[in-house]
Amino acid sequence: MIRQMTQAVLVAGFTLLEYLRSGRIFLELIATIACYVILLRPTSAAMNASYLFAVLGIFGPGMAVITTGFIVGLGDRPQNYIVLTHNVSRDAFLLGLFFAAVIVTLAMYGILCALVALFNRATDLTLFGWTLATLPLILNTGLVAAIALLLSPPVLSAGWRLFVLALIALALSSNVISGPVIAQISEINPLLVDLLRAIQTILSGPLVPVFYGYQLSVSRAFDSAPAWANLLAQCLLLLSFLGLARYGFHRRDLIFSV
Amino acid sequence: MTDIIVVEGLSKSYGHVSVLRGVNLRVSTGEVYGLLGPNGAGKSTLLHLLLGFLYPDSGRIRIFGSADLEAQRRMIGYVPERQRYHNHCTPREYLTFLGRCDGMEIAHLRQRIDELLELTGLSTVANRYLRTFSKGMLQRFGIAQALLNDPDLLLIDEPTSGLDLDGQQELLTLLNNVRQRGHTVLICTHRLAEVEYLCDRVGILAHGNIALEVNVADVQQKIGGMIVQTGPLDLPLRQRLEMIGSEVQCEEQAVIISPHNPESQARVLQTLLEANVTIRALEPQVSRLAQIYTRTVRGEPVDNLLVENPPLPRVVLRETTPPLPTDEIDPLLKRLLRQNRNRSPDQKDSKQ
Repeated sequence: MIRQMTQAVLVAGFTLLEYLRSGRIFLELIATIACYVILLRPTSAAMNASYLFAVLGIFGPGMAVITTGFIVGLGDRPQNYIVLTHNVSRDAFLLGLFFAAVIVTLAMYGILCALVALFNRATDLTLFGWTLATLPLILNTGLVAAIALLLSPPVLSAGWRLFVLALIALALSSNVISGPVIAQISEINPLLVDLLRAIQTILSGPLVPVFYGYQLSVSRAFDSAPAWANLLAQCLLLLSFLGLARYGFHRRDLIFSV
Repeated sequence: MTDIIVVEGLSKSYGHVSVLRGVNLRVSTGEVYGLLGPNGAGKSTLLHLLLGFLYPDSGRIRIFGSADLEAQRRMIGYVPERQRYHNHCTPREYLTFLGRCDGMEIAHLRQRIDELLELTGLSTVANRYLRTFSKGMLQRFGIAQALLNDPDLLLIDEPTSGLDLDGQQELLTLLNNVRQRGHTVLICTHRLAEVEYLCDRVGILAHGNIALEVNVADVQQKIGGMIVQTGPLDLPLRQRLEMIGSEVQCEEQAVIISPHNPESQARVLQTLLEANVTIRALEPQVSRLAQIYTRTVRGEPVDNLLVENPPLPRVVLRETTPPLPTDEIDPLLKRLLRQNRNRSPDQKDSKQ
């Protein structure tokens, strides 16, 4: 286990070195600065903490999707056959890519927060409040990175990717299911709609910690037990998605893109 | 000798395309095994199966007696066909990273990196980015990274692919040095010269299987000679021809000059023309391995090539009857004949 973690850290470090030197990181930097200029720059009205975390709560996962895509792209190259022959296990390799993606995302999150702290500080935010609100956002960022990793070509085949995406779409489809189209279907076949609703309820269950985490960072209401339980649920969900990605990566033939 | 690689009934297909069909292979300790095959025969697929990157559809692979291929990778060095490395780092940085992945201690690793950079002639460019390297340099770097943790088994895929002649020669010399260090090596290639130069045994991968395995020493023949295909040669003429030099050997309807010597060749041709013997063809001597390979890949029988003293190849390129007039002979040969005629008897004797 320790050896695997050491290798994962080595792979992450090396991937980050390649990422920095290849200049790909400039895309993230530009996106971060653009986010600051568009949404968080100083205006005539003072910015409050809820608005800041509402923006950061979307920025983190969004950046995680982009960065994980780039990092997986670096991982999905024939160069990595060499890395894998040097005693790096599939687990360590995958975990290394995940670590690299999370580190870059969190670095951008840090840069954005630093820009805000320097030039447009939120009126009602202390360092302690920032730390508390950042916790669920970091976990959400990791969670989204794990999902992006799971849905990457080296881990799942195209068919399975579509299947998982369909499940996620169904889990997020509460508005559609209660919408007018479904109401029409309900008149024709009420059983089908009941079935869809049941599936949607089951699938949306795992997403509750994600949305609740977002709410927590905006409200910073950590004075109840469910708030802390939610952090634990986010951790477990993150580990579950990483476990699924590991399972998928282990089962596949390693054919890196040319 | 222990078998380091044992492959039994290995099959692999990509979708509906079957690449390997029940491959059996054994490579012993210290052996240099060449896996020959045309492009697309499945050589790289077999290597990736041995490394555990691909999973077989059926069959069994054991490396160092274990079926856990991922765990065995620490004792394997791999040189891929396509020399693609992380370009934004230097050889020293790259080797340091790989060595740390191998679990090598820093002090030992530094020493080992220096040794390998010296061995592969990359010491002077150790701090240059890999993206600035030529193909030949990258190929040498490939050997260095494969030898980093002093592996017991080396898997090398198309070592001289894409290299110019100098690069090929340099790399073959380097691989020969590696070979002499006692590593067990499996080389995939479609170049016969590499196999003849480096390997002890060769397997020909064709039609999804190892169609033939031969010891290179058994089929190796001096190449670079010439064969003059003639009409019937009587015994006195054969004796006269063989007097020209030790490199000239006669058969009933052929004269072999091996190793090739232009002077002897000119004298042989002159003697044949003077004796009014039909010259049917003049052709380079082809190695038996080349013939075995070509026939195996085509699915033709090779039994007559595997006997101890095989008959000479009788491929007739051109037949001329009556005997070839002097003005139709290749200009180079004509010049040699002329030179030979003009040479003084003293000069001829001194050459003999």
